[in-house]
Amino acid sequence: MFDLELGPLGSASVFLAFGLAVYGAVAGIVGAARRDARLQTSARLAAVAGFILATAAVVVMQAALLTNDFSVTYVAGHSRIASPTWVKVVTMWAALEGSILLWSWLLTGYTALLAVTAPLSPLRPYAISIMQAVQVFFLGVLAFIANPFKVVPLPPLDGPGPNELLQNHWMMAVHPLLMYLGFVGLTVPFAYAMAALITRRPGTEWMAQTRRWTLTGWGFLSGAIVAGGWWSYEVLGWGGYWAWDPVENVSFMPWLTATAFIHSVQVQERRRMLKPWNVLLIVTTFSLSILGTFLTRSGVVSSVHAFGNGPVGPAFLVFFLLVTLTAFGLLALRWDDVRDRADLDSIVSREGSFLGVNILFVTLTAAVLLGTLFPLIVEAFTGDKVTVGAPFFDQTTLPLWLLVLALMGIGPLLPWRRAEQQRLARNLALLTGALVVSGALAWLLGVHKVYPALTVALAGYNLMSLYLLLSGALVPRLRLANRGALHVLRSYAVESRRRVGSMIVHFAVVIVAVGVAFSSGYRVDEQIRLDFGSSAEFSGYTLTAVDRFMERTPARISAGAVIEVTRGGRPVTTLRPRLNLFGEAGRTVPTPAVYYTATHDLYLNLNSSVGPDTTFVVLRVVKSPLVTWIWVGGAILLFGTAYSLGGGRRPATARAVAGEKPEGAPA
Amino acid sequence: MKKIVYALLGVAVLAVAGFLISKALQSSLVYFILPSEYARDTAAFEGKRVRLGGLVQAGSVRFDDAKLHLTFQITDHLKDYPVQYDGAPPDLFQENGGVVIEGRFHDGVFVGDNLLVKHSSDYHPPADGEPIDVDALKESLR
Repeated sequence: MFDLELGPLGSASVFLAFGLAVYGAVAGIVGAARRDARLQTSARLAAVAGFILATAAVVVMQAALLTNDFSVTYVAGHSRIASPTWVKVVTMWAALEGSILLWSWLLTGYTALLAVTAPLSPLRPYAISIMQAVQVFFLGVLAFIANPFKVVPLPPLDGPGPNELLQNHWMMAVHPLLMYLGFVGLTVPFAYAMAALITRRPGTEWMAQTRRWTLTGWGFLSGAIVAGGWWSYEVLGWGGYWAWDPVENVSFMPWLTATAFIHSVQVQERRRMLKPWNVLLIVTTFSLSILGTFLTRSGVVSSVHAFGNGPVGPAFLVFFLLVTLTAFGLLALRWDDVRDRADLDSIVSREGSFLGVNILFVTLTAAVLLGTLFPLIVEAFTGDKVTVGAPFFDQTTLPLWLLVLALMGIGPLLPWRRAEQQRLARNLALLTGALVVSGALAWLLGVHKVYPALTVALAGYNLMSLYLLLSGALVPRLRLANRGALHVLRSYAVESRRRVGSMIVHFAVVIVAVGVAFSSGYRVDEQIRLDFGSSAEFSGYTLTAVDRFMERTPARISAGAVIEVTRGGRPVTTLRPRLNLFGEAGRTVPTPAVYYTATHDLYLNLNSSVGPDTTFVVLRVVKSPLVTWIWVGGAILLFGTAYSLGGGRRPATARAVAGEKPEGAPA
Repeated sequence: MKKIVYALLGVAVLAVAGFLISKALQSSLVYFILPSEYARDTAAFEGKRVRLGGLVQAGSVRFDDAKLHLTFQITDHLKDYPVQYDGAPPDLFQENGGVVIEGRFHDGVFVGDNLLVKHSSDYHPPADGEPIDVDALKESLR
């Protein structure tokens, strides 16, 4: 038997992976510049080896967590013997150093995948090298600044365990993973965009080769945001899912710019326009994900004085500045190659609407960024401590969201270049009809608040738009084919995955919008005091506090109330809102209980403590209509994204690549 | 010609957006203050939404559990003001403990609607005769 020290083993893996990243970044670029195929191949092999070593580091960390090896700093600081196994596994990304390990690992994984699967092109060696340069930063932080594998000289007998809020819900196992998969996925188009600038090939080649990566990254990021919303709904106890908290905002901004990006690349694919804009968007997306990590991890959003929270935050700030300056510098250097030569024929066209939606998403990003950074600016200049409340974000973004919905309906119906008057007039009449009818219907049914009513109107308008899109595609096919409607629909759905996928995603956006508008516009929120044995009425329900309960597992102690819910005398459900206590030193975490239905949720959270001698409980009771549809819409959105990615390579992409060659290449 | 029109249109949109954003910022900026900071300029904060931080004064807590009405004095050792809050005291709410409460001042009485307990482990109340470090208190509460 030999004694295996996990700490040094993990450190060694990280250091070796770091070394390989440095080698790969340099060898790839030198190899590409000298057209040395062997050097390029060695850089690709380094990418694969780097992934194997990063995987080794992850395995070592998991082994340390699962075997309670408290001689490893990270385990000593964030794990606990009594935690269940799944909590120990996800503890790896419950704190800073571990999250960077996860991020690095996924980054090496994507780089290795790229090195193995990316088609040979002049862009590839540079793109892989840039991915490796990003690895140099992350693995460098891991190796030199925030090494989770440092050895604790005198290991403690037990650790404090991860943050209580995180171990209180299984979603914590999913949400960060999705987030990092999204961020890392969007690093690939960034790397290719940089490669395109370096090689003076700013055509559609780089985006055609990264379309799948971009959409995958965007899908993961969307999933992460929805999952994060559901996590806060299930855990934070106020019955909401989005508070415009800085931590939420910084994950939202890259999503906004990425959404703009996946729309604007289509303009370049079809019309050879917006080249610099696309590069700008993907650079912004990538650097916003780094800036976000800096803002949340350094603690500056809560206080500028928290800057001293360790060197990881400043390292991210430096990297953010480096990325931004390098990328913009490169763009400036290559301006002559990148500059647009085509011009917009008419604003009333597909490209015009894509341009409009881009402006909207960038404005949304700017508003969120301003609201997030404003407290920092105020404190830096006046010393006053301020927060920018949710009203700011609501006031600035809600009108923009409505405009997004409006463009989402009309945009896909417009043809490229220039809309034909007659067709446009007919479509517009039908869309306006749907808008007015559904808005009036909502009003008659009692929806008298402005935003929910407008959202319903725009939802009807968008459904009409989807109907027009689908019928516009299917009716000519039906005439040509001698088959049934269902068969034609199926063959269209298989042939035009990209188009159908986008329709599914847009449909999902409508559902999410309605869910958000109603759950925030018509939520009922009350505090109710209930003596044990007595009942109270709430919004059509009768709540009866039947009993209190106490549970004990090795990992936690729970105390709560048993609340029977009836409606019109009929039993509906029994809810058990509780307070969880993880470990002796921890703080109690209120854990809400939710009754989900298709029309509304009933949400109970304990607002008072429960002990052996308590005679009453105070409940926060929230009823939010249609909130479930946000999660359903999120799932549909992911399905639509996956659908458009499925199947083989699209003819449209192949066409774009083939038609690209002459343009943008050096003469 | 077309370019000029687009440019003008762009500038107009930006101007409108800028105006709306600055208006929204002004109305939703929430200051974080201590009781003594309110005392220095009561008129400036009257009726405005603020986050008030401080310690719960010992012996001042009254909770009417039938009406779910909580009152206490909030202090930073320099000044103290009565706080009214509809709701049960949250878990870990205790005398001499740090709290941050969101709401508005009306004639020297703070009416709050969101009460947060801050367990400020790095702040220790001053011993007798020791000077009061208000900045440290404020920093520990955020």
